[in-house]
Amino acid sequence: MLSIKDLYVKIGDKEILSGVNLEVKPGEIHAIMGPNGSGKSTLAAVLAGRETFTVTQGSAVFMGKDLFELAPEERARMGLFLGFQYPVEIPGLTNVNFMKAAVNEQRKYQDLPLLTSGEFLKLMREKMAIVKMDPSFVGRGVNVGFSGGEKKRNEIFQMAMLEPKLAFLDETDSGLDVDALRVVARGVNKLKTKENAFVVITHYQRLLDYIVPDMVHVLYKGRIVKTAGKELALEVETKGYDHIIN
Amino acid sequence: MTKYTYMPEVRRVFRCTVPNENIRQVFLVDGILQEEENERNGIVLQRGTNQMGLKLHISGDHSQEPIQVISVRNEDLPRPLEFSNRWELAPGAVAQIIVCDHTMQEYLYKTFRYSQIKVGDGAHLDILFMQNEHHRSNYRLDIDAQLNELSGLDCHILSLYGGVIQNTLHVNMQRPGAVCNLDGLYLADGEQEVLYDITVRHDSPGCDSRQLFKGILDNHARASFDGTIHVAPGAQKTEAYQANHNLLLTHDARITTKPQLEIYADDVKCSHGATIGRLDELELFYLRSRGIPLAEARMLQQMAFVQDVLDRVRNDAIRSRLERMVESRLRGEFTKCSHCTMHCC
Repeated sequence: MLSIKDLYVKIGDKEILSGVNLEVKPGEIHAIMGPNGSGKSTLAAVLAGRETFTVTQGSAVFMGKDLFELAPEERARMGLFLGFQYPVEIPGLTNVNFMKAAVNEQRKYQDLPLLTSGEFLKLMREKMAIVKMDPSFVGRGVNVGFSGGEKKRNEIFQMAMLEPKLAFLDETDSGLDVDALRVVARGVNKLKTKENAFVVITHYQRLLDYIVPDMVHVLYKGRIVKTAGKELALEVETKGYDHIIN
Repeated sequence: MTKYTYMPEVRRVFRCTVPNENIRQVFLVDGILQEEENERNGIVLQRGTNQMGLKLHISGDHSQEPIQVISVRNEDLPRPLEFSNRWELAPGAVAQIIVCDHTMQEYLYKTFRYSQIKVGDGAHLDILFMQNEHHRSNYRLDIDAQLNELSGLDCHILSLYGGVIQNTLHVNMQRPGAVCNLDGLYLADGEQEVLYDITVRHDSPGCDSRQLFKGILDNHARASFDGTIHVAPGAQKTEAYQANHNLLLTHDARITTKPQLEIYADDVKCSHGATIGRLDELELFYLRSRGIPLAEARMLQQMAFVQDVLDRVRNDAIRSRLERMVESRLRGEFTKCSHCTMHCC
């Protein structure tokens, strides 16, 4: 599904990723852990198409296509999703209009008929229930005045609406209390199928109690220095990164 | 009464524009009223000075029945035209007026329209000016509004098309307890120019004024915004706010904004603010990361930017119509509806 080979990425003159290799197959859940500044968010953002980064070497092939040849919206329509660490506020644009535009673009791409207003609202209600979002959020500005937890729920809600093949969740758990964390995790588990895949970027083992990964990677100084099963997350939690890196 | 042979066509063209069924429409063609002077339901309609322009005197409550005044330039040999319209509300009257200014031909029309507004004690006027001419016209609107005790004025100005659009607003809150909301939206591209000069005078205590003006400038468009709030000595308990926000889509677009406060009373709440910015890159990436193409994402950002100005139009039917017009204007389409033959309102 996704194959990243020897990826080098810079921002300005500073190298952030220095040779990342990663394979994600349908039905898998991967967790990426690593200390601050190791390049976790950069990896997710560069795959989603953030233009502030420059890819200097390497490749990323998603569903048989070179990701770096595609605009961010094309990657999204092919089924790539990024759950933002800091979801963006857009005053003046309502959640409903935002999602309507997104869902319709995706349906156009898939050659499906556009949804009627009634069908769309029904779909929205269904998906909001998954993350227990308050129905009043529909008419509010995108993430405007949302608490940290509400913003993260909104990310999972958007993911539910778009049903991506591969989702990168960038620290979706940070800033969440236990209840919100459960809601978010339940959302992910509900959306999980044999055909799709998730890459969860996190600092804490806590999330991985709810979303059980098939593989855990430790990213350090722009490289994946260790890959193992879910027990690696526990090792990180108890012994710290220093132990693993050395 | 002068007979205008093109009138049936004008009516046909404008029939589609009506936001509500059975709205009352009054036509002014090259400044001349197209109906006999009359009086109906407390609304007195007369010709203005020198048979030019109109005078509307309104009493009673007309909050549910907007009046649309359609003012078009149509002459084949365009000369500079100047006329006055007067809008007078009797004490306690409530009215909603939509003034649509258009050109029927693409000539170099130059039109200077004075608008004198008098709102009587306890009366409330909601007036919307649609400026929808063409890229080579020269448009000037000069509003002079007098607000009496406990009266209210909501004035919306939507500038969509015009070569040079010059709006001058003078609002005088001469009696206590008056409330005035002024807002405007200007969308300019090409070589268009939009100029604003606003003075709100608080001459009496206990009056509120709120101004919100926003502009989106593309290509080589230029705009200037000069806004003054004047609070006279003794006008205590005044609340006066002014905001002007601008979005520049290119490096060649220019805006000069100059908000000013002159306060000669000491127990007042006043503020003003102006911003000039570009489309936010992170917002754009967020929208695109959900599959929304670049052009559409930029469009959504611009609509989001102007939404709070449109939200000030309280009539739902009119507001949703304006939203569609603004959207098609931003998409670079003519603001016409399906049966229209022209890019009129």
